[in-house]
Amino acid sequence: MSLKDSISAEATASIDGAPASLDEAAVAAARLLARSCQPLIAGLGADVDGARAAIALAERVGGVIEHMHSAALLRNLDCLRETGIMLATPGEARMRADVVLLVGDGLTEAWPALNERLLRPPARTDGMDVARRIVWLAPATGARIPGFEGNIEIWGAGGGATLAVNLAALRARVKNRRIVNRRPPRSELPLTDLDALAATLRGARFGVAVWTAASLGALEIEMLHGLVRDLNETTRFSTLPLAEPDNSAGVLAACGWATGFPMRTGFGAGVPVHDPWRFDAERLVASGETDCVLWISAFEASPPAWLSAVNFIALCERTTQFAEAPNVRITVGRPGVDHDAVMHSSDVGTLVAATASARSSAPSVVQALERIGACLEDANARPC
Amino acid sequence: MLIRIKGAHIVDPANRRDEIADLWIRDHEIVAALQDGAQADETVDASGLIAMAGGIDIHSHIAGANVNTARLMLPEQHRAHARRPAETPLSKIGWTTFETGRLYAQMGFTTVVEPAVSPHHALHAHLELADTPIIDKAILAILGNDDFVLSLLRSGESASALSDHIAWTLQTTRALGIKVVNAGGVAAFKDNIRSFSLDDVVPYYGVTSRAIVKALQRAVHEAGVPHPLHVHCNNLGLPGNFETALATIAAAEDLPLHLAHLQFYGYGKEGPQGFSSAAPQLAEAVNAARNVSIDVGQVMFGQTVTISSDVLRQFSARGQARPKKYAIIDGDSNGAGVVPYEYRAGSFHNAVQFAVGLELFLLINDPWRVFFTTDHPNGAPFTSYPEIFALLMDKDVRAEWLSRLPAEALAVTTLPSLTREYTLSEIAIMTRAAPARLLGLRDRGHLGAGARADIALYRPAKDIAQMFRAAARVYKDGELVVRDGTVTRSRYGRALHVTPVVEASMQRRMAEYYDERYGLPSDFMRVPEGAIRRPQPFEAVACRS
Repeated sequence: MSLKDSISAEATASIDGAPASLDEAAVAAARLLARSCQPLIAGLGADVDGARAAIALAERVGGVIEHMHSAALLRNLDCLRETGIMLATPGEARMRADVVLLVGDGLTEAWPALNERLLRPPARTDGMDVARRIVWLAPATGARIPGFEGNIEIWGAGGGATLAVNLAALRARVKNRRIVNRRPPRSELPLTDLDALAATLRGARFGVAVWTAASLGALEIEMLHGLVRDLNETTRFSTLPLAEPDNSAGVLAACGWATGFPMRTGFGAGVPVHDPWRFDAERLVASGETDCVLWISAFEASPPAWLSAVNFIALCERTTQFAEAPNVRITVGRPGVDHDAVMHSSDVGTLVAATASARSSAPSVVQALERIGACLEDANARPC
Repeated sequence: MLIRIKGAHIVDPANRRDEIADLWIRDHEIVAALQDGAQADETVDASGLIAMAGGIDIHSHIAGANVNTARLMLPEQHRAHARRPAETPLSKIGWTTFETGRLYAQMGFTTVVEPAVSPHHALHAHLELADTPIIDKAILAILGNDDFVLSLLRSGESASALSDHIAWTLQTTRALGIKVVNAGGVAAFKDNIRSFSLDDVVPYYGVTSRAIVKALQRAVHEAGVPHPLHVHCNNLGLPGNFETALATIAAAEDLPLHLAHLQFYGYGKEGPQGFSSAAPQLAEAVNAARNVSIDVGQVMFGQTVTISSDVLRQFSARGQARPKKYAIIDGDSNGAGVVPYEYRAGSFHNAVQFAVGLELFLLINDPWRVFFTTDHPNGAPFTSYPEIFALLMDKDVRAEWLSRLPAEALAVTTLPSLTREYTLSEIAIMTRAAPARLLGLRDRGHLGAGARADIALYRPAKDIAQMFRAAARVYKDGELVVRDGTVTRSRYGRALHVTPVVEASMQRRMAEYYDERYGLPSDFMRVPEGAIRRPQPFEAVACRS
């Protein structure tokens, strides 16, 4: 069966809001991309194949690749690029952690399975269970983990604004350094609390710190890594930064092996150039440096408001609504639902092959991109 | 399609050929010399060129989660790459999968083994390999620090249970063989053990490193896997660690065993800095142990990054990171560490490491049992292979290099006294014939009838490095892919894997195990062909019956 046959006639596409065939939409999209001075492939909510195809297309048209969660993702990645870090997988944390240090908000939103996978795993039959202490630093006031019945030691609730200084004070006490803490910004945690928490962390046999970069600032993440580094001078402690949604970790992996760089990488110079500031999608649109966006979102993410300011092609999940109609819209299937897909799994911490749960004939991102790519052959050469 | 490669100097030690003759290619295969008068569709004048089978690299970290972590950690190492010709989809790019395939092909290599894949990350590794063009490739799956194997050994289960588990792992991950990394040490590090040797005991599990290596060695053999257990020993990099390697060789007894990157275990404690070459003692032991093969892991000078599943070792080395950053990963029943490093010619320690590698190459007599690697990128990037060929084949080149190294470092080695020069035939054994035999790839590593038409033609030159850096022509599966050191045609190769028979009882047992311990279906690590999105991405390699 050819690619063309495998895509249903039901596939919905539109040009300037008017229904169109997939072929017509692909031709129109290719024309926009070919005429653009610097096309931006953004959103990038796609499976790994979709990401591979998007990167190849970006290279071909001299465009930029960006992901909707790059900002948070880069806050974690910057620590890998600038300092020493310890990382654990969800499975190893589940098997070994005797202390789980939760930090900040948004944890169960980032990883709905946090409770059953990490906080409350079933007992082992071989007698090698570990007693698990759960410590939560700086949750929102009154926050709880749905479904978790056990004890959580909460410190600095509602203190998100002072988390950085709390972490700094905690790190100092873990190393038995004196803290003065008289002038602001200062930790609102009393010294006795800090010392009790420091003792818990130092007493861990294998501790794991868990956070989502969506809730934490760059300095807080860096301080957490420093804290964990220091703890490893005497015991074992690691980190489990939760992956951002929309397969961001899977897209990051594909970007890494295909370009050597994460997202926010441009191909306009003929070689890949990575620049987290220059290739920020919102900035590229606001500054007028891009005149055409290919917005990809096969999961159910809402499109950003800034799309209204630019010509754009949307490869999106069928229920997606835009403030302004895209110049070209192609409805794509949901990875792992409408079609088989490889995606990053937060439960496993790596790429996993998912079988379609409700297989349909909606085109995948890679099929839509290949169709557009085939039309690029005929589209006009780039004017600049 | 019938191609006649006319008048090449054929260096094919597997078939005991070292002569001027024609090579005939029919489609994907080498065929017997045809009688005169046979009409080739294409005749290539290869007079003056050397023909070898395509090179095979048995140990090069080219793909997978840890390699990718290194790429992302070091954007500054590949920021400014020159514009590349556009033969591959992303060929303008630095240290990527696309570059990897291209650069290997240009040196005449056609098969490369990524030797360290945690089973849970097999799909990721295979996806990277799928984006690595031209060459064929394979993975080795890592066992021996995992809860399942350690629990199995603790409870004293039968050897056949371990063999069954190995078969299950190989089939599930589509691997070509099994590697063990610092057996037990990686698990012990999670219990805050900071040093671990061959007779140390893994906490809770109560088994020694020695017991793990021996059990895996036997089980791999009994599972019929062609490649013997691939061992990364304990105590990598430490002064005096040659004794660990000697003890591991002794423990192998009569069964086959492969020791990876032996150079990193060739260190004594002599000399002014308590760090010296113990390569002569190691080479003597390897020469005597005919069941043991090794690869070298040659060190070359320059910036690189070390990528190892020996998380204990990498954690200990984090203070030497250059530039100062690292990632230490407590992986699923495994570990990893990515630590950038710069080997400096002026450094006493680095000069000794450089010398130890060359001493091993030159002091181990049998080129069928010593393999050519830099443990890419741990000793050096694989792009330094041409310089290493020159160092092995020309003692004057060696002398010139040695003249630039600290004399006090060379004084604790035997390298300045060694005069051996590798012949072309020995190079072909070490990089073609022997690796094919070691991996059980019967249709590779030679130029006899029935061999796969993976062929490298080199133009002899006084500059040996230049000859190996830029192959005159490379054929992959009978297709011309490189001319004059440049890729002229891109294509995608396959991943080679063994397909041992898996007992249904082990399938059930693993399903129960993953459900209980991880709360996951045991097929989460499967590598379905459809996930790879390349035509025919895999090729089965037969097990010993």
